[in-house]
Amino acid sequence: MKVGIVRFLGTNCDYDCEFAANYMGAQTKFVWHEQTNLKEFDCIILPGGFSYGDYLRAGALAKFTKLASALIEFDKYGGYILGICNGFQILCELHLLDGALITNVNLRFIHKQVHIKLIPSICKLTQNIEKKILQMPIAHKEGNFYCDETTLKKLNDENRIVFKYCDKDGNVDIGSNPNGSLENIAGICNKKGNVLGLMPHPERAVSFLGQDGEHFFNFLR
Amino acid sequence: MKATIIVKPKKGVLDPQGNAIKKVAENYFGVIFGEIRSGKYFEVEIEHENAKNIIEQLASKILSNEIIEDYEIIYESRNS
Repeated sequence: MKVGIVRFLGTNCDYDCEFAANYMGAQTKFVWHEQTNLKEFDCIILPGGFSYGDYLRAGALAKFTKLASALIEFDKYGGYILGICNGFQILCELHLLDGALITNVNLRFIHKQVHIKLIPSICKLTQNIEKKILQMPIAHKEGNFYCDETTLKKLNDENRIVFKYCDKDGNVDIGSNPNGSLENIAGICNKKGNVLGLMPHPERAVSFLGQDGEHFFNFLR
Repeated sequence: MKATIIVKPKKGVLDPQGNAIKKVAENYFGVIFGEIRSGKYFEVEIEHENAKNIIEQLASKILSNEIIEDYEIIYESRNS
């Protein structure tokens, strides 16, 4: 699989994503934010970071780049798009995913290991994950997933909730919700299942950093 | 033309910053506040025949996210 790893001004998890994708056997290439043609790729990763300083809203300014228009085209062809952390925020701002990520309920930047539960969904990227409870770090201040009630119902009815924060045994409860996200949501996908966004960092849980990221990136094999 | 654009969280959307300010203010004054909601404030200057239209689009497409925020535009009168 050929993977494009996007670099906006302020992206800082690009090398981690490159390492993880290469480790899983994928071919990778960095994609500058002015690039307009993504046809050579099977998958585009929007890594974490602070694109454009997170000014205005997290992820808001990246949607006005040339690459953002190319991403919308890429989605039309059904290419896989994975947004991690700031990448998830950008996908929401672009309306490639529903909802928005608002400030954590405790107003703090949270950096810690969490457990997430794989929810049966239509997401094409997660169908081959065998392990159902994964451990990986989060590192964000704006990861509190919000959408209106109608959208939340739609996400549930259409099986588009992909990951929920849980405890180590897989219990999804208030205690395991790090940031105030609605229904403990950690990751969602679009209607076609080819676009996935999540706040946790699977690329920081591969090789000597852990194995659960490798389970996550199974789709790259 | 000059305009002020105020962007604020939509009704019902959690505003952790507003809540934190409310707690501090209640402790400080020893009184109970209703809601305190925090938002963003922008001052815009533009000379263009479609200025109002552009400012409207600036507010709706760039400065605010319709999923979580509402906006209000206050135009400054010419003779002020």
